[in-house]
Amino acid sequence: MHNKQEAADNFELWARLVQNIAETRGSNAKVELCANYFAHLAPSEVSLACQFMGEGAFSTISGKRASVGARTIGVAAADYCGIDYDIVFKACRTANGSSTETIQRLFENLPEARQKNTLQHWNLARISELAEELAQTRGRKDKQRILTRVWGGLSPLATKYFLRLLSQGSLRIGFERRSVLQALARSSQVDYEQLRYAHMLTGSLAKTAELACTNRLDQAQFKLFNPIAFMLAAPLHSRSVEHWHDFIAEEKFDGMRCQLHAHGPKVELFSRDLNAITNQFPELVELFGKKEFPPTVIDGEICVYRDQTIQPFQELQKRMGVKKPSKTLLREYPVVFIGYDLLYLNQKETVSQSLTQRRISLENIAKTYKFPISTQHSVDSKDQVDQLFEQALAHGNEGLMLKEKEAPYSFGERNNHWLKVKRPSGSIDTVILYAQAGSGKRGGSYSDFTLGVSVKEDPRYEEEFIPIGKAYGGYTDQEWKELNKAIKGCIIDRFGPTAQLRPEIVVELEFEAIQPNPRTKAKYTLRFPRFKAIRWDLSPQDVDSLDHVEMLFNEHQSKERSPQKSSQSFLIPD
Amino acid sequence: MLKVKKARYHGIKLPELSIGLDYSNADVQHIFVSHAHADHIPRNRTSLREHTNLAIYATPPTAALMRLRGFKEDIIELPFFEPLTTDHFTMTLYPAGHILGSAMAFIESGVGNILYTGDCKTPASPATEGFELPKDRQVDQLIIEATFGLPIYRWKSNEELQSDLVSFARQALDEGYTPIFLGYNLGKAQEMMHMLRELPETKQIHGGGYPLCAVYEKYGIDLGPYERYNRASSEGCLLFTPNSGLESGFASHIKKKRIAYCSGWASHEARRTQTQAHALIPLSDHLDYFELINLCEHLQPKRTYITHTPDPKVVLHELQQRGLDAVYLDMMHEELD
Repeated sequence: MHNKQEAADNFELWARLVQNIAETRGSNAKVELCANYFAHLAPSEVSLACQFMGEGAFSTISGKRASVGARTIGVAAADYCGIDYDIVFKACRTANGSSTETIQRLFENLPEARQKNTLQHWNLARISELAEELAQTRGRKDKQRILTRVWGGLSPLATKYFLRLLSQGSLRIGFERRSVLQALARSSQVDYEQLRYAHMLTGSLAKTAELACTNRLDQAQFKLFNPIAFMLAAPLHSRSVEHWHDFIAEEKFDGMRCQLHAHGPKVELFSRDLNAITNQFPELVELFGKKEFPPTVIDGEICVYRDQTIQPFQELQKRMGVKKPSKTLLREYPVVFIGYDLLYLNQKETVSQSLTQRRISLENIAKTYKFPISTQHSVDSKDQVDQLFEQALAHGNEGLMLKEKEAPYSFGERNNHWLKVKRPSGSIDTVILYAQAGSGKRGGSYSDFTLGVSVKEDPRYEEEFIPIGKAYGGYTDQEWKELNKAIKGCIIDRFGPTAQLRPEIVVELEFEAIQPNPRTKAKYTLRFPRFKAIRWDLSPQDVDSLDHVEMLFNEHQSKERSPQKSSQSFLIPD
Repeated sequence: MLKVKKARYHGIKLPELSIGLDYSNADVQHIFVSHAHADHIPRNRTSLREHTNLAIYATPPTAALMRLRGFKEDIIELPFFEPLTTDHFTMTLYPAGHILGSAMAFIESGVGNILYTGDCKTPASPATEGFELPKDRQVDQLIIEATFGLPIYRWKSNEELQSDLVSFARQALDEGYTPIFLGYNLGKAQEMMHMLRELPETKQIHGGGYPLCAVYEKYGIDLGPYERYNRASSEGCLLFTPNSGLESGFASHIKKKRIAYCSGWASHEARRTQTQAHALIPLSDHLDYFELINLCEHLQPKRTYITHTPDPKVVLHELQQRGLDAVYLDMMHEELD
């Protein structure tokens, strides 16, 4: 008789495997576990198991989301186990650091939750349907009803991972897409590189698994107007480059990454998360459509470009997310597409060619069809890189990209073939006003900090310090320990997970940009704030004032940007 | 009811009886030390020494452990169950089940009684004298710690935890790895050694914990074969060290090792990456949330004071729902009066 409980595609088994992977140290051992698991599944089941492991409840290319917020889930979970959301649930989440793990523990521990549970032994396909149902449902109450139904049929462990699937993010088990592919290569006995290639072309783990399990990997084909995963850059740590001459340099544009697909009059644009953004930039569609390209895919950047000058990212933001922009918007924020890589040309993908080869083709096609491409500089020393870096900043760009000449286009990967050289836009001295217990790796200790600037002599404020931003990182483990020690002596009050501190600890805060934000007390927020240094040597008297922040902002806005005349960031072939 | 005062980092004071509970100031006549963990031992020793009228009480095992950890002042040894009577109160110590010697103080006076638990655990840790409450007495005031006072904490039974420890050790050894158990030098280490006593392999314990083991043996806790950690002969032994030991080179020469982090905090997955441990074994010397609530409900005190807790609102809310009067004694803050 068929025993439902032992079906290999039972979601409970999948969840136990995932937990097992989380508990196993060493990537090879993790891959081995996963490969053994795949070996017991039918091809269609491997597809879903892979997708769940590396992408989430939905395939990445589907662009689908469950759209259930953390609060919706938390309130429903508190209700499910009969506890107060604000008093009990939030305190538990703060102590544990992970909302989904908190829910697992509460469901394990509280009798009220245990009583509601009858294991349904759902298979992976059923879980996929339930997630679909959540995505289709509108309204918080209805979503909560579905969640409650799902929880009633799952073990607390499976519940934890079901909730992580819904966020379409990482399962947080130290097992990312690349490991899933390695396990798949092992279980279906195919070449890893071939598998990776198929994954690049299909953009889908499920589809890749299906092809691998049925010996049809050679059918993996690139389709024009289906985006492929972008190659990403790693930050440059000065030690990581030994041979400068292996690289070329390009200026790093302060814009939006874009993959342009064109064939004849048809043009499609895709953003970094592989979503179509075609209707946001009709002028590019028109421009490239008129050129009647052969089948072509170009990787590049969209920037606002006016008066022969690349404008700050903040200006591009006015265009981002605006479908069918008005004529005024198009006139005020004109954009340019600057190509810097070629992925496909005339029915042939070019990603496995070296950058040098791809660049030759890109230059040729740019010449024929007249569109801008990045300027490449050869480099042979650190000094030269520094000089180019300054020039890039003078153009108003973010910094430099260093790209290895012989490297192929490693779609979907962040590795040392591409390096980004950036300088933080600025730093200010701030003081810690609040500390909050964090989540994830640093769960359970103070790891989130609200930093303040001085308004002591500012007639607009009554306070001495007001918050300017919140930082979650940039400190070392050692600094984090010292910080937690120091904080204990400064606590003046507590509000749940948050501790209010006597302003004593001074932090040099680094950030990417200052943005006006009328909803905050300071009227400004910082983009990507993080610790640069804890300034034990400074006292609260040394903290920068809000006036200073305003001055930095105005300086940046009015900063002279060199027009693209001599020593250009990009070239329009003539 | 007796007045209960918190004194910031210095512990708790019963001003009417001039008693300090795990207390560090010399402005009282009696100090009770519940157990020998550093955060409960009086710290302000110079001022204690100058104060000739002061008596410090602890159980004999606690007194022995305190002396081994460098406490030089006089300690009056007060065995379990033997009432100490003064003009103003009678104090009787009961086993708290937290570590060897850990005691709860039951203090009876003309204006009512108070039970101070110190750190406690029921069911008791197997390497202690057990856990026992005053018999046939209605407790008026209860001061209890709630270190794990959230419903995300529910411990496995001692038997299950012991079997987790044994199978972790056995599997590591059988596969040629040296098992390392991370836990405090006093209490946790000996509890684990006791639970692993039947394994024939020698146990080696960090130098900070080694001398304390003799006290455990003296009071009848079997720790199996053990010796002080010795770098040269440590491979293939069961090793015991606090977390800090690993950072200062403990077992750094052993390539094939597996680390188990053993603590109530091991119930957080995040500790896996924070401690670099292969296994998380949630072995705690404190009450879990459910044990805590049950104990309070069983005692039905007229008032319960909660100390040491991640978020006091949670336990207070639960106790109040059950019709118990409960307040939070925040040990971090000075009382404003």
